[in-house]
Amino acid sequence: MSDQSLNTAAESRLTPILVAANDRWLPAIILLVATVVAWEAAVRIFDISAFIVPAPTAIARSLIDQWPSLMQATLVTAGEILFGFIVSVAVGIAIALVIVRFDWLGRALYPLVVLFQNVPKVALAPIFILWFGYGLAPKIGLILVIAFFPVTLSMLAGMQSVDRSLLSLMNSVGASQSQILFRIRVPHSLPQLMAGTKIAATLSVIGAIVGEFAGAQDGLGYVIQFASTQLDTAQVFAALLLVSVLGIVFYYAAEILERVVVPWAPKFSRA
Amino acid sequence: MRQSAMRIDTIRAAETRPTTVRHDDALISAKGVSLVLSRQLILQNIDLSVPKGSFVSLIGPSGCGKSTLLKLMAGLLQPTEGSVSIAGLPPVEAARKRMIGLVFQEANLLPWKNAVDNASMLLSIADRSLSRAELRARGQEMLELVGLGDSAHKQPHELSGGMRQRVAIARALALDPAVLLMDEPFGALDAITRDSMGQSLLDIWQRTGKTIVLVTHSIDEAIHLSRHVHVLGIKPGRITESLDIDLPYPRDLSLTEEPEFVRLVVQLRTMLRESHQPGASS
Ligand SMILES: Nc1ncnc2c1ncn2[C@@H]1O[C@H](COP(=O)(O)OP(=O)(O)OP(=O)(O)O)[C@@H](O)[C@H]1O
Ligand SMILES: [Mg+2]
Repeated sequence: MSDQSLNTAAESRLTPILVAANDRWLPAIILLVATVVAWEAAVRIFDISAFIVPAPTAIARSLIDQWPSLMQATLVTAGEILFGFIVSVAVGIAIALVIVRFDWLGRALYPLVVLFQNVPKVALAPIFILWFGYGLAPKIGLILVIAFFPVTLSMLAGMQSVDRSLLSLMNSVGASQSQILFRIRVPHSLPQLMAGTKIAATLSVIGAIVGEFAGAQDGLGYVIQFASTQLDTAQVFAALLLVSVLGIVFYYAAEILERVVVPWAPKFSRA
Repeated sequence: MRQSAMRIDTIRAAETRPTTVRHDDALISAKGVSLVLSRQLILQNIDLSVPKGSFVSLIGPSGCGKSTLLKLMAGLLQPTEGSVSIAGLPPVEAARKRMIGLVFQEANLLPWKNAVDNASMLLSIADRSLSRAELRARGQEMLELVGLGDSAHKQPHELSGGMRQRVAIARALALDPAVLLMDEPFGALDAITRDSMGQSLLDIWQRTGKTIVLVTHSIDEAIHLSRHVHVLGIKPGRITESLDIDLPYPRDLSLTEEPEFVRLVVQLRTMLRESHQPGASS
């Protein structure tokens, strides 16, 4: 009896979610399947050479045949992304805190940070290889210079948008600058910081691949480059597919992190 | 040159002040306070005395300097001339001694804290010796005082505008301040919520014996709640009229229908209309 009612309760809670998921994803899935089918058909009908555009089935075959080595490369790249992402977020937060906390240092640092944004950072990859060799370090360095900026910028914006009357309240009870920083400004900045973090997650994937392009002995970027010199376009596509999957995984991981860190953010509470 | 011209204005204004100010029983007193900000005379020769335990309202046209005057009392700004004192102390020192509670138009609650933690937030900074449990207990006590005892664990976004403002009042009261300075605390609320908030504030005032200075744009609210109303004029900001509201406490909303109340409304409205004329010195 109670089992029954529990079940129906669970079902009635689940049904709308499933329906919503259908509504949301179904069109995209239909379009994707149609595109893949059309792609396969076009390659077969027009007899396109496999090293120019491989058929989806050829990509799938390459994926299956090369699975162990592709997985190994995926793990390497994922490790770089994760490590680089964490370093970028940490450094991005540290720079933002320094700029806000130490006024004169901030005034010195901020224009330089902005100026540095105009350097085409992808072009730094060969220099990093020169300095740090072919290992993990140049990739982390490249991810860092690409990904820290949105973190710093979003956190700064968040910390500086605290309402003035709230600051008046804090001042009226004699709060110190660090109390205002850590009890008000930093938590207040978290929703914006998380938005910057999601951008950093996406940029970290780009940074890792570019770093591997510039010089690496492993990783998906390396696989893409090596396979293209072998005219194994199917493997290039297979590796690209895995890069995209990594991108999606990291983006959603950042989104889950956001829900954990700032469940009180306006975007969640105004459902 | 500018400075001396201003002094003369100040003196002239002092001569034309309608009522003499007695500072004897004052908890807050402003003596000859003038304030210049960005080379503009914002407040001119303010003489104001707020007796201990009284309820005083400031009313006047937008931009006349009510909020600025309140900030001077809170020690958030320093006067260019004259002095402000709270129980004989400079406001900054009074604030350090937790004598001043502030409430603004926006509740400014921290969205990552629930109601009870918001209520004790300022206290936790003012008195670092208190334990978490003590802070909670104090926050809860204050929420009960403002009628939100059962909403302690709600997050700010789960509260209505009026409830949020009640938490803001609880947060100020948690300091157990001698003075409550309120800047249009009900300005963002609908008329009915506003009425009941005013009535609650009156109850809290009578129960706690705080001295309250309220900035408001509502003539009804000023008369309903306060014992003294000061009208500020514009350009420069100065006190143009002061009105004693000799209606007996406890007061409730039925008061607003009485002839004496209506007469005071008319009188205050006339004063307010005149305060909209810029002063001679502008
Ligand atoms: N930091 C400042 N620098 C220069 N002028 C200022 C500053 N702060 C306020 N003012 C000016 O002081 C005057 C009074 O402002 P204030 O906010 O005290 O008015 P108010 O009476 O509270 O108005 P309202 O009813 O609209 O809230 C305004 O003309 C405003 O422009
Ligand atoms: Mg104001």
